[in-house]
Amino acid sequence: MPKSATNQHIASLYHFLAQCMHYPDPQWMNEDFFNILYQLLETLGAASEGKEIENTLAQSSDPIEELQIEYTRLFINGFPHVVAPPYASVYMDQSIQGGFALKTLNFYRAKGFLMEESADLPDNLIHELEFLSLLAEEADFEGEEEFLSTLFRPWYKQFCPRVAQETRHPFYRMVVTLIDSFTKEEEEDGFQLNKA
Amino acid sequence: MAFNLTRRKFLQTASLVAAAVPLSKVAYAQPGVAKVSLEPKGTMGDTTVVGGLCEMCFWRCQLIGKVRDGQLMKLEGNPKSIDNGTSICARGNAGVKLLYDVDRLKYPLKNVGQRGAPIWKRISWQEALDECGSKLKAIVEKHGPQGICVFPHGASAKYPMHYFERTVGTHNVSEASFFQCRGIRDVAYVATTGKAPGEFVDMANTKVIFLIGSHLGENIHVSHIKAYIKGLQNGAKLVVADPRYSAAAAKSDIWVQIKPGTDTAYLLAIMNYLVTNKKYDKKFVAEHTAGFDKFSAAISEWTLDKAAKECDIPAAQIKEVAELLAANAPHVAIHPGRHVSWYGNDFQRERALACLTGILGAYYVKGGWVPPKNPKLGKTSWAQQEHGDEHNLNVSHDKKVHPFNPPGTPTELIRDCAISGKPYPIKGCVIWGQNPMQTIPNQEKMKQVFKAMDFVMCVDVMPTDATMWADILLPESSYLERHDEIKAGTGRIKADDKEPTQFIAPRMPLVAPMFERKDQVYITNEIAKRMGHAKDIPVQTLEELVDKTLATANITLASVKAEGGIHLQPGQSGYGVPEDFMVQLFSEEIAAAGFPGAPTYIAIEEVPAGFARLLYGRAPVHTFNRSQNNVWLNQQMPDNPVWLNDEVAAKIGLKDGDIVGFINSEGVRSRTTTTVKVTPGIRKDAVYMYHGYGSANPLMSTGVGKGVDDTSLITKIAIDPESGCHGMRNNFVKLTKDGKVLDIPA
Repeated sequence: MPKSATNQHIASLYHFLAQCMHYPDPQWMNEDFFNILYQLLETLGAASEGKEIENTLAQSSDPIEELQIEYTRLFINGFPHVVAPPYASVYMDQSIQGGFALKTLNFYRAKGFLMEESADLPDNLIHELEFLSLLAEEADFEGEEEFLSTLFRPWYKQFCPRVAQETRHPFYRMVVTLIDSFTKEEEEDGFQLNKA
Repeated sequence: MAFNLTRRKFLQTASLVAAAVPLSKVAYAQPGVAKVSLEPKGTMGDTTVVGGLCEMCFWRCQLIGKVRDGQLMKLEGNPKSIDNGTSICARGNAGVKLLYDVDRLKYPLKNVGQRGAPIWKRISWQEALDECGSKLKAIVEKHGPQGICVFPHGASAKYPMHYFERTVGTHNVSEASFFQCRGIRDVAYVATTGKAPGEFVDMANTKVIFLIGSHLGENIHVSHIKAYIKGLQNGAKLVVADPRYSAAAAKSDIWVQIKPGTDTAYLLAIMNYLVTNKKYDKKFVAEHTAGFDKFSAAISEWTLDKAAKECDIPAAQIKEVAELLAANAPHVAIHPGRHVSWYGNDFQRERALACLTGILGAYYVKGGWVPPKNPKLGKTSWAQQEHGDEHNLNVSHDKKVHPFNPPGTPTELIRDCAISGKPYPIKGCVIWGQNPMQTIPNQEKMKQVFKAMDFVMCVDVMPTDATMWADILLPESSYLERHDEIKAGTGRIKADDKEPTQFIAPRMPLVAPMFERKDQVYITNEIAKRMGHAKDIPVQTLEELVDKTLATANITLASVKAEGGIHLQPGQSGYGVPEDFMVQLFSEEIAAAGFPGAPTYIAIEEVPAGFARLLYGRAPVHTFNRSQNNVWLNQQMPDNPVWLNDEVAAKIGLKDGDIVGFINSEGVRSRTTTTVKVTPGIRKDAVYMYHGYGSANPLMSTGVGKGVDDTSLITKIAIDPESGCHGMRNNFVKLTKDGKVLDIPA
């Protein structure tokens, strides 16, 4: 399928969302990043969500550390309990690197992709979004749909509400909701995440 | 949020948005998924990886891993093993679930909250190591090396323990495996025979297996259990002294339902009977024991009747056991036990076991105590350095406080010093693989220790209860992900082989470590560099450490791997008493140190009215708190029902399956509840539960709050005076139900 500007734009959005799920670090999570984020939200009609994030950050003496603590609590080892490890197998196999991770890896392979040495596990949300970005870049819509329906949505729809409901920071609520909207199956469409 | 569009519409909008927003300006990370120029590959296939060495418990069964695409699918016994063979236990199988436990530590964490109520933040290794190094260095500069205490456990803790002991120079090291487990056994046997006994009883070839409290079958170590079962199959008689109808008692020929804490009186009566009736091994006693006359005189008060009364068992049964042992001696396996830190009078009991073995002549003979002749391997670690005894808490006025202590410093001396600041401040705490909150009695006291610290660092694979008290928490690679300790032993390739074969099995990784987990050599070396000890570092990598050790046996990791993960070489039989082997029936050395020279019974506190003694032990599918979060094992045995005598249960109106809590004689209540197991198989004055349940750390999402944490109820501290080790069965409990406290009837 020919590459088009639309495909590139969708690919870059996936890539942007993947980046949002990286551990917060001032090297990338800087003024430029937040400006782009606010701009993106405004264009999507979610300026107030952008404002909420901006206000939360402004109120903190160390906004990046606050996001790091929240990221750790949500996704790594939180207290009293980690909220939502960002790995498919956790939801599908009750394990890190379960059979679902292997299925995911095999899908990447079937499409001609491999994991880099430095990569996290194949079923990490970041890598799944990177993969979707690469598929979009190649305009492999069929592959994208298949991946979303068989390997992404089954776990992500469990992961997303956990984060959205439990997070104490609007940034992560916004990111997981944005990913949700971006990846929802057609049959799942139509419901409004925010009851307001 | 307003993202309530259909995906199709959303994509249309999004593509327009993306065009309008400069997304490319973000400083992106390098993607982890990449296009390959090669033909797309299917599955990489399955491989069998050799060299695994289990550490779900300490027995170190040899493993192979079935690996698919870097993912460990299954663990099996290594077919080349002459130790466990192809068998592994339930815990061994469940190692897969430890490896991939969702709750496992993944990255270095910094506690930006409080100790005990942590708020974790992921930090880089650089930052974590800088913090550990600088904080520990500052403590050493201000308070001296003795200002650091160390609580290590497991294979990975040896290297850092040696660093802090030998190079930094603190004596304040307390290993749970010694001070809360087997240390008393080892030092009592060393004081009696010159040798730590291990579990070297030749059960497969014996005529009588004699167990005091050991509940083999619930306590499973594969090759040990195989020998035990083989012995029973061959017709060995089994004698089990236990207040509870344990798995071993269920197989016994004679079950001695002994009153807790009186085991030494029982042993003394058996020995006195053998001596009085001249049913001991006179030749062995003449050639290989010392102090027989003093010993005989010292134990002469222990008649069958006196012991029967003290132990609450029939005198005839004591005689029956003594006769059975005498009739089958020297081919009798007097088991030294393993976890023996029970009542604070345990050194004497272990001495009695060693002496009983001696007067039966059951050392180095078929069916007796037979230490294997294992391969000789050198040791590679931090160089020994002399640090003097000025700051050794176990030395007071040039005299040892607990003269027969195992290596390290008795735990209670460290804790008292840390809390009081006397005789000197202890301000840094290193916890490595140990969970002192669930291994050391009196949790409140442990909390006080942590609160008294300027800095606490913790290295572990799981977020155990102790990790809640760390300032810096470091994730370690597990036993399945690293090179490490070497198991060397002796076995037989074929059961009827005349001579044994020696084996050397170095641990090799079955899979690569995930996330940012690191091994002990990396972590220790990096801290050592920051504390100014770079020049003392003995090896650069864990692999190098193992290879240097293997070189002393003229083999290498590569050569062992090529041999299937286990090196085999001809061995020698362990039978035949060495000429210089001596059993100190009466020990002048022990007497000179101010303790009874002959094994002596010291009575313990009686159970107060309305209470029952709290006993604990092992579950066959758990290794104490270390495995409580394992999903498979939790499913097999999710909680620890409390064994309650059926007559007692009837009197207080409890039935099987009722939910109860506990309150101990010091007013401490259990945090959680468990179910009641009503049984005639336990004495009326005791209750029993499996140890290692009821984690308090919500990060242990499977194990948290499941069952009752018996350690939380062990608040009364008993200290074995000779060894300084803990006794942990001197605590008394009542049950609680629906908020009501139930007295235990006498």
